[in-house]
Amino acid sequence: MRNIVLCALVVLATGARLAADDLPKAETILDKYIEVTGGKAAYEQNHSEVSTGSMELVGKGIKGTVSSFRQEPDKSYTEIDIQGIGKVREGSDGKVAWSLSAMQGPRVKDGDEKASALQAARFNAELHWRDTYKAETTGIEQVDGKDCYKVQMTPKEGMPMTRFYDKESNLLVKMVMTVKNPMGEIPVESMVSDYRKEGAILMPHKVTQKAAGQEIAITIENVKYNAEIPKDKFDPPEEIKAMLKK
Amino acid sequence: MLLRLGVFGATVVFIAAAADRYALTPGERQLNVNSFEYVWKTVRDKHWDPKLGGLNWQAVHDELLPKVEKAGTMDKAREVMTSMLERLKQTHFNIVAADVYKEVESPGSRDGNPGIDVRVIDSKAVVSSVDPDSPAARRGIKPGWQILRVDSKDVLPGIRKIQGGFAKSTLLDIMLARSITSRLYGKIGKAVTIDLLDEKDQSVGLELDRAKPRGVMAQLGYLPPMYFWVEGRKIKPDVGYVRFDMFFEPETLIKTIEEMVKSCGDCSGFVIDLRGNPGGIGGLAMGVAGWFIDKPDQVLGTMYMRDTNVKFAVNPRIDAFRGPLAILVDGCSGSTSEIFAGGMKDLKRARIFGARTAGAALPSVFEKLPNNDGFQYAIANYVSQGGKPLEGNGVIPDEEVPLTRQALLAGRDPALDTAVTWIEKQKK
Repeated sequence: MRNIVLCALVVLATGARLAADDLPKAETILDKYIEVTGGKAAYEQNHSEVSTGSMELVGKGIKGTVSSFRQEPDKSYTEIDIQGIGKVREGSDGKVAWSLSAMQGPRVKDGDEKASALQAARFNAELHWRDTYKAETTGIEQVDGKDCYKVQMTPKEGMPMTRFYDKESNLLVKMVMTVKNPMGEIPVESMVSDYRKEGAILMPHKVTQKAAGQEIAITIENVKYNAEIPKDKFDPPEEIKAMLKK
Repeated sequence: MLLRLGVFGATVVFIAAAADRYALTPGERQLNVNSFEYVWKTVRDKHWDPKLGGLNWQAVHDELLPKVEKAGTMDKAREVMTSMLERLKQTHFNIVAADVYKEVESPGSRDGNPGIDVRVIDSKAVVSSVDPDSPAARRGIKPGWQILRVDSKDVLPGIRKIQGGFAKSTLLDIMLARSITSRLYGKIGKAVTIDLLDEKDQSVGLELDRAKPRGVMAQLGYLPPMYFWVEGRKIKPDVGYVRFDMFFEPETLIKTIEEMVKSCGDCSGFVIDLRGNPGGIGGLAMGVAGWFIDKPDQVLGTMYMRDTNVKFAVNPRIDAFRGPLAILVDGCSGSTSEIFAGGMKDLKRARIFGARTAGAALPSVFEKLPNNDGFQYAIANYVSQGGKPLEGNGVIPDEEVPLTRQALLAGRDPALDTAVTWIEKQKK
């Protein structure tokens, strides 16, 4: 009996090895994503991006607007204005990552949280994933009834992330990661959908995030590439600057 | 983005007293059944304790489903759903009548009041404060006056009933106060008759208008609309003072605190008055705390959810007030007030004065049900940084200062006076 169990384990292990060997390499999947969403040249035409849209805490009747400004190589500023809460601002100038809101006050990010924020701020990060991550295809899993490649992304610094790419379209459909900040380590699952072309790039217009029992839907309504962004847009607010001087 | 919403449910229960007694159509009955199922499943799937403390939740469902199916009025259907939630024996689980949300379209349609706040002291309903420029202020009502009857109905039997039902509960004070104030509330323009005893114990009968409540109407998602106000001033040349009725309108609240703190750089102390404050947006406890804490990595407490834990971490402001901080609380301070006061006490950053708080501090959210009622449910347990859950325990002041009718009649505020005396001692 024990031999049968052992044999079964060997078969299972062999099966798993064969399956892993059959899987496409992560770099193939990640590079193909660039290709199916417009190609490297299309991405490289863009040097800045301004997006606006809306957000909703699903089922809770809480709504707001989202504005995002990004500029190469690594500048980012996002403002979410929530009815009844006010503005939640986050930004990075490539060196410093911060957040500020009346609800929670000012914060200069550090450690893994800072590393993740700086990675997220990198413009056209899809093109440069090799600079930041080691990637490995770890299996095939269904997402919303569709087979997806599961790709484990491990950064040099910061928290790892698992991405799911639709086997058929090679589009990114889901991301799972743990967000680490002073409030704790909070698992976040993001569903990515509604791919539509903006200029030469096919991009998702809807992200639904589940975290700490809540669901937040963000819908991108307008995207402008290479729009002129005021230089000081990416400067940290005075309160953050004062904290940095301290 | 995490929102932690923690309005104390009793507010909702009492303002949701309007009757929906008309007979329901079959379609409306079905919506009530759907709502019942939604409430039941939500608790089953989202309560932080998957075992619900050993409660047989399926049996509760099977027992009450036939009752909601038979319920011929909205009131009856709500009663069934409320009784289901009451089996949990926890605060922050409530059904909010759809009618409550009409206040947004028609301010004052249900929330008018004569401008009186009440505490029950030694079984007497006593006016604890009178809003400036309110109908009560214009008719000369003063703190310390005793309310005997509202609309010709004695208040004492209701007080006795609540004293019996909540004898061992930290909710006693808030339930007693709300049993009176809920009767004072009503439609603007519809007067309320109050029989009182004045400072000389002389009977006074007054018909008072109900006016728009103090403050501005604030709303956040499906939370019932609330009126928010905040005041900041110096109560002595060198003691800052901020009071607000709820943790709402973050930008307005924080702006007021910021201005007070910045104008109080050389103050010998600061008082945050949370008496009667039933809570509000939970996360705002962190924002307020940041103006009084200058050390990094401070945490007020932790909310424990089914799948994750979230710390209420404080982000210190660069210009935070660093002097002695007194926080005033009473039995009507609930939820976010308790999270803030309890955390600041545990961090030894503030000294707490007044009376034990309501012990109603479960983080909760509001949703809309298929029948358009609101549904508040707790999503987490909350443990203050000292290691104790606040639910059912409350925050115990460092200095208990009882409120008396005599002090109110004399124009004194014992808790505030004691806090200021303590601040002055710190200076020496």
